[in-house]
Parts: sequence; structure tokens; C-alpha cells
Amino acid sequence: MTPLLWRALLRHPLRHPWQLGLAILGIALGVAVVLAVDLANASARRSFDLAMNRLTGHATHRLVGGPQGVPEAVYVQLRLERGLRQVAPVVTGTLPRADQPGQLFQILGIDPFAEAPFRDPAADVTGSNFDLRALLLRPDAALLPASLGEQVTLRRGEQRFTLQRAGTLNGPELDSLIITDISTAQTLLGHTGWLSHIDLILPEGTTGETLAAELRAGLPPELRLEQPAQRNQATVDLSAAFSLNLTAMSLLALVVGLFLIYNAISFSVVQRRALLGMLRALGVSRQELLLGILGEALLLGVAGTLLGGLLGLWLGSGLVHLVTRTINDLYYVLSVREFFIDPWSLAKGAALGLLATLVAAWLPAREAAAVPPGLALSRAHLESRWRAALPRLVLTGLALLGSGGVILGFSHALLPGFVGLFLLILGCALLTPPAVVGLVRFNRPLAARLGLLARMANRDVARHLSRTGIAVAALMVAFATTVGVGVMVDSFRGGVVIWINELLNADLYIAPPAIEDGGGSETVEPAALATLRETPGVAAVSTYRRLVVDLNGRPVQVMAVDLAPASRAGYHLISGDPATAWRAFQTGEAILISEPLAHRRGLRAGDALDLPTDRGLRRFAIAGVFLDYGSEHGRILLHRSGYERDWHEPTVGSMAAFAAPGENLATLRERLQDRLGPIQPLLIRSNRDIQSRTLEIFDRTFTITNVLRLLAILVAVVGVLSALLALHLERAREFAVLRATGMTAGEIGGLVSLQTGFMGAAAGLLALPTGLLLAAVLIFVINQRAFGWSLPFQVDPMLLLETLVLAIFAALLAGLYPIWRMARARPADALRTE
Amino acid sequence: MALSPPFIALHNLRKQYIEGDQQRIIFADLSLDIGRGEFVALLGQSGSGKSTLLNLLGGIDLPDAGQIRISDRMLTALSEVERTRFRRRHIGFVFQFFNLIPTLTVAENLLLPLELNGLTSPEQCDRALELLDQVGLGNRRASFPERLSGGEQQRLALARALVHGPWLLLADEPTGNLDAATGEHILELLLTLHRQAETTMVMVTHSQAVAARADRILVLESGQIRELAR
Repeated sequence: MTPLLWRALLRHPLRHPWQLGLAILGIALGVAVVLAVDLANASARRSFDLAMNRLTGHATHRLVGGPQGVPEAVYVQLRLERGLRQVAPVVTGTLPRADQPGQLFQILGIDPFAEAPFRDPAADVTGSNFDLRALLLRPDAALLPASLGEQVTLRRGEQRFTLQRAGTLNGPELDSLIITDISTAQTLLGHTGWLSHIDLILPEGTTGETLAAELRAGLPPELRLEQPAQRNQATVDLSAAFSLNLTAMSLLALVVGLFLIYNAISFSVVQRRALLGMLRALGVSRQELLLGILGEALLLGVAGTLLGGLLGLWLGSGLVHLVTRTINDLYYVLSVREFFIDPWSLAKGAALGLLATLVAAWLPAREAAAVPPGLALSRAHLESRWRAALPRLVLTGLALLGSGGVILGFSHALLPGFVGLFLLILGCALLTPPAVVGLVRFNRPLAARLGLLARMANRDVARHLSRTGIAVAALMVAFATTVGVGVMVDSFRGGVVIWINELLNADLYIAPPAIEDGGGSETVEPAALATLRETPGVAAVSTYRRLVVDLNGRPVQVMAVDLAPASRAGYHLISGDPATAWRAFQTGEAILISEPLAHRRGLRAGDALDLPTDRGLRRFAIAGVFLDYGSEHGRILLHRSGYERDWHEPTVGSMAAFAAPGENLATLRERLQDRLGPIQPLLIRSNRDIQSRTLEIFDRTFTITNVLRLLAILVAVVGVLSALLALHLERAREFAVLRATGMTAGEIGGLVSLQTGFMGAAAGLLALPTGLLLAAVLIFVINQRAFGWSLPFQVDPMLLLETLVLAIFAALLAGLYPIWRMARARPADALRTE
Repeated sequence: MALSPPFIALHNLRKQYIEGDQQRIIFADLSLDIGRGEFVALLGQSGSGKSTLLNLLGGIDLPDAGQIRISDRMLTALSEVERTRFRRRHIGFVFQFFNLIPTLTVAENLLLPLELNGLTSPEQCDRALELLDQVGLGNRRASFPERLSGGEQQRLALARALVHGPWLLLADEPTGNLDAATGEHILELLLTLHRQAETTMVMVTHSQAVAARADRILVLESGQIRELAR
């Protein structure tokens, strides 16, 4: 490659700044979306790691207990009787800010004297104003994050607690943390007499292992000694599935971007076929042209990737809040104030952008290298080559669909699921140009009736298939993504609505107020339960107690329930005979497990599961598997009789009341408030209240998904704009001839609008089956593998209609600039300069 | 005294195209010799295969059968890459529609063949720019081709075709797109440069007047070459 040859090739894009800009923008948007999601995930992950590391500190082991935690006395025993010195008690829980209930804080209660070997307060706390004395002696003293003022008021149910600053926690990852003395934390969280866990540092090697074994042997059955890393890893694994889903969504935007790059480079090759032919005639070799076009694409890729990097940083700093909010809603309290720019994410984004550009440019570059010397390759020749390639496109498309299907059918992991999904999308994209030709043929009778302009517009789409086919494919993929993700979210929401309506079928739900703030340890007074049962107008009562047990390092909820027959109807069993299952369940010997748990551990009705109880590990038969979207960690339903048998101090966490027939709910609610209020402050909510709160969280969770959908559409609109601009600029002479023969600028505009509208409609129509296929894979394969949820397949016809209208609108919008340019162009110029 | 072999020898060439189900034979058994430094005019009706013959001579296309030898190189035995290199070094093209590189300036268009051949010493570049003066474009070096008139573009195309001292100049109706006066001027220039460089030249033309200036006039009809008597 000589400098003049580079110049000859590279000056072309510089002379067509609009095309150049749109090609760069296409790459940039694709890279930006991928990078933004990756950076947001990396920031959330890093904040989580930092927070966990700060909290776990140097502890090698952790002593954990039943639902209430570990009795305080155990700590004293460890220190005094066993003589362990590196032991630290911890009380932890979550409370909301009183004036901003959405802002949650993790309370960490510590013993400052025992802390030194575990967590290094000097690293987190501003030394100059850390008042240890105050922390120990004042019940309202706390180490507060730097972002808070001198005091903060927290809420637990009806109670308010104001904490005063006794020191400052530094570091954005500690923004949602409040550190207090043990006793303050116990008061705040209502854990008096109990510790959440006890951290230990045991020596490394066999000495430590022996000591751990000795400790385990001497523990009462309700206590367990575990390694903190196990629990952290389980939480990270779960949110990893969420991150992977987001990454896959962002890659879809890159796939659309890939089409745009292909389109841009391919067009620039076609536009220069005369130039390439001349260069070949002058003795430029095929390899030189191939290198030249790839080099040009690489420069475009570098520019697009740089711009995409900047856009991605900006977009990522916005997305990180959405990601964090979802993680807070679904997984754990996480504060991500600092947007962490992960160099690895940047490198991945850059590599992906450049690689995608080169992959997309490879075919057009080969096309350029194949240009015969001279002027042998005419546009008509190119189009006829495209038409000749249609059968091959169909075969390749079908082969990709087939391989995607095989991978989806024969694999069980998440990653092959995504590979299969991408193969299906690619297959459908390859089938798009042949489908466009089919649609043009199908449309012919209608176009014939609509007149000359419609006939020309219809025919032009097929005649310029090398351009229109790619543009329609890019638009189709983007809108199919919209349909696929839209149907998946709708189906999910529909499933959740049905599930929650069935599950929460009692009329009123009664619980201590703290339960809504995540404080599951508060319980209902037995007197309150008795009063509820006796209250006139209450036909039946169900009781619930939520415990969290550790199953192989994963926190799994056990719901100890005494269900009224109507409540039982709310559980939809997907494995096991309902009559037999409920009968076995009632004995307290068998449990029902949720679908995600069954999926993750490969369990079904008839199997057994060992649960850690206060009386040690106990084996329960699995009577059935129920549909559940409540927790992807998994849930276990245990009859109260089993709970009372295997756990100490059985309590009730919340209650559900069924009103007697004909009873007015508002009256019953007032009556219950009057009767229960004097016993204990309790929150009484209608089922509709709880349902709407659940759906609110659900909708918030999917905000980020919708943002990514919109971004994919934006990428596609840029693609169509670039394709149409290129196409119409290339046809300037053709339009000039039409103008010269008497067609007005308005009529040309009409022709272009008809053509772009047709392309949009074709993309929209083809996006519907592709999107439904995508939705089916997302619902039945991806979600199933990532979270273990089986969802119904619900299609909202409005979503399909919206997609079609949006696709046509996007195409028409993209056609506006070319129309405006053509209206301003003087036909004489076009005729002269061709 | 032994006769020296012809500079260009076309031996039993066959070329045909498939058009749909039809087979169109351009040449069935064409043979032709051209001497070094000769100026050969090629006449023939549209579609008679003149441009095809030119493409075969330039190594752009290959015959279905037969041999083409230029000097001591058997063109038909060369690979695509070798033919490209041969064309780069030894062939100059002039087209009816000029075919300049629109993204390169006048000077850059001229220097491109030199650069492709690695002939970029200051002396070689200076000589090339002298050639630009000779064709009357010395003051337009920095202009892009679109700013030049048709005559100027063709003069630049002539200079570009000859700048690297090719053995063979192939001209496809070089005056076909110009008015009579400009065409005559270009032809004069072409002949002058051809004589100066002692290059062999094959020119496709429709004009009897232009053909009359050639050393030999060949007519291509029905796949056969016929030489017109002078």
C-alpha cells in the first residue's frame, strides 16, 4: 500500500461527511451501549466487592444461627470458656431513612475493642473526629457516611431513631453503611440479646481446621460455623445472572451496529466501484484493495470506538443508577456513588468495536478486491449478484436457525442459550433480504392499483436489494429485539400479576410495621393472633413466619405457614399431585419447594432435601414444586407443625385474614385496628395494596431493560438513516432524470417516502415473527436457565401494533433528510456530475 | 538473417461469453502480431470485441483458449497477481471517460503509477512533473480532476498512462468523448508522446481519420482480424 493509494481511498469518506458521520455514529452507538452496560455492571460489582471486603474484613469464619441469629451468651462463651481472642460480635440489618423511605442503610453493630484484627476502622473512619468514647457510651452515637449530615433519623415500623455523628465513614462504597456499637444496633434493629453472627479469625492450616472442627462439634444444633466467602459468592452468582442478561441485551445493540457497519462499508465500496476498477487497471492488486478497505474500516472503527467510548462513559454513569436500583430491589443494599471506570471494560469495548468493524467490513472488502479492472462491475451487475446469492442466503439463514435450535435444544447452561439466541437472530437477519423480495412480489398487485409512484417505490426496494436488504435487516433485528424483550417483560409481568393475585387471595394482611423495611425478625404477639382469630367477621386466618436458612452457601427462605384452605389454592403446583402433596405437607414432614430452587438443585416431587434446623440437619420429603416469582434464591414452604417441632421459640411473622361472606372490608379493617392496636402496633394492608407495591418494584426492575430497548431502536434508526441517505445519494442521477422528465420535487419526495415506508413496514412485519421467536427463547430458555422461572407466553397485540407503527415511523423519519436534500438539489448538477 | 520475433503475439485466441442460455463467441481463432513501437488502430462495430481484445492485451481479462505473449512474457501463463504486477509495470491505459482518480489531485494522479512501481526518487518525480508541463497542466498540479475540463482530464490521463514508461499503451477511444478540436489536439499529443517514448500503442477508435494516423489499421469483424491496406 503506497501513501497515494491510501490517499485515493481515504479521501472518499472525507468527501462524504454525512455518510462518514453516520457510519461512525453507528459504530459508536453499538460500542457505547455495550460499554455502558459493562461499566455499570463493573461499578456495581466493584462497589459490592469493596463493601463486602470492608464488612467481612479479615474474618476466616463466621458463626451463624437460626432466624433470630446467635444468642449473645455464645460470644461470651467463646471468649471466656474457649479462650478465643480473635472473635468479634456483629449485629447487622437494614433500616430505611425516616424522611426518605426509599433510602436504605445497612446497620453494622460492632464491638470497637474486638474489631481491630477484623476491620480496620482507620481505613474507613476519619481519624481526627472519630469519637470512640461517644460510640461506646452514647446510645445515639454512630459512624455515618460522609454524604450524610451531622445526624440521621431512621425508621423501624412506627419507631424513629435519631443517630448523631461520632465519626465519618469515608469511601463511596460505604455510602449506605452506618456503624454503631453493638447495643445501639440491637436497639435499632430490635435484636436485643441476639447477635446476627460472630466473626472469627482462626489460624491457617491444620491448626485452624482442627479448631474449626472442635468448634463445630461443640455447637448446639441451631448454630453453624461457615466461611464468609461462601455466602458472598452465592449473592454474587445470583446477580451475575442479572448482569449477564443486561450484557446480552447490550450485545444485541452491537449486532444491530454490526449491520450498520456492514452497510456503511459496503455502500462506500459500491459507490467507488469505478474508482476501484481504475485502480485495478493501474495495477493495484486485489490484496492491496482488500487491505485498503479493511484499513479504512479500521480507521472508522477507531473513530467510532473512541466516540462510543465517550458516549459509553456518559451513558454508563446513568445506567449504573438503574443497575444499582435493580440490585437493591432484588439482591442486596448497594450504594454506587462512584462510577468506576474499569480499564478492562474499556479494553473490551474497544476490542469489540474494532473487531465488529473488521468482521462487518470483511465481506465488502472482499467485494472491493473482487472488482475487475476497468469498469466491468456495474451497479446492475452487483444487484444481479445479490439476487443470485438469495438462495445461498436462504440456505445459510436456515442453517443458522437450525444450529441455533440444536444448541438451544441440547444445552442446559446459560451461555450456550445466548449463543443459540444469537444464531437465531443472525439466521433471521440473513433470511430478511429474500423475505423482502417476497414481500415486494406480494405487494405488486396493491402497488399496481396505487399508481406509478407506488409501483416504482415497490420495485425499487427489490431493485436495490444490496442496500435495502441490509437496512431492512438492521431495522428488523432492532425491532425484533423490542418485540422479544417487550413480550418477555409483558409475559413476566402477566405471570407475576396472576401469581400474586392467586397467592395474595386473603382480604387483609397483618404484620408488624418493620416487616416492610426488611426487618423480618419482628414477630406477632400470640395475643394478637388469638384476637384476630376471634374477631367477628374473620372467616379464616393464615399465618406466616419467614426464616432464612443456608443451603450450600445460598440464603434460601423457609416460609413456615399455617394456611387456610383458601390460601392453599393460591399455590400453583407444577410438580406433584396437589391432593397428595397438600396431605403430606399438612403433616409437617414434607415440604413444598419453589420452582427456582427445584431448577437450581435439580429437585422434584418425591425427592428429599436436608434443612438446617434448630435441632440440627433434618431431612424433609419434597411433596411438590410450586410456581413462585418471589425469590430467585428459592423458597421452601413448611407447615407450621414442622416449624414448631424443629425450631426453638416458634413465632408468627405475619397473618392473613379472610373476611366472612358479606363482610365489609373497610369496616373489618377498622374493627381489627381497634382490637389489635392495644396489643401491638400492626400494619393492616389490603391485598391490592401489597400487589401494587410488588408490581411497582417489578416495573422499576425493568426500567433498565426498556432503556436498552430504546437504545437498540436508536441504533437502528441511525442505520436506516445512513442506508437511505447512501441509497438516495447514489440515485441522485436517476432522480435528476425523473425531475428532467417532469416529476416534481414533491413527487420524488412521495416516491422516497413510499419506499422508506415500505422498508419500515417490511422491517416491522418481519420483526414480529422474529421477535416472538426471540421472546420464546428468552422466556423458555434464558430466564429458565438464569433464574429458574417458568413464565407464561403472553403477547399483547398492542405491542405488536406499536412495533409496526414505530418501524414505519422510524423509516419515514430517516427518509426526511434525503428527501430534503433531493428537493434542494438541482437536477442539472446531478446530470452533469455523474 | 533471422527475423526477430514480434513484440506482441496473439495466437489462436478464443473468447466467448454466456448470455443466459446463449453462447456468444467474440473470437473463435484470432491470431495477430504487433511489432515493437508500432501504432496500431483497431476499428470495428460496437460489440465486435475491440474492448475485449484491449482487456486481453492489458491482462485484465483472459482468453478461453490461445496464448498472448508480450515481449518475452507469456501473459496467458501468468497468475492473476503476476498479471497485475505486469500491468502495473508495463502497460498504460487511456480510457474514453478519462477515469482519473477523483480523490487525488492532478499531481497525485500522475505520480500514482510511479509510486505503485516504487519509482519515487526525486529525479523520477521531477521528470514526471515535467511531463505534466508538457501536457499543459503544470499550473494545475493541486487541482482535483473534477475541476478540469474534458480535454485537460484526457491530457492528464495521457500523462498518467505514460509516466512510468510502459512497453504498451492501450487507448480505448481516447478522443471519443471530446469535441473535434480538443480531440485533434489530444491525438497530436498522444502521437508525440508515443513517438518520444517509443511505446507500442494499440488504439480502439471509431474514427477513420484517427485510424489514418496509425502505422497499421486492423478491423475486427465476425471474430476475425482484417488488416486494411495503406
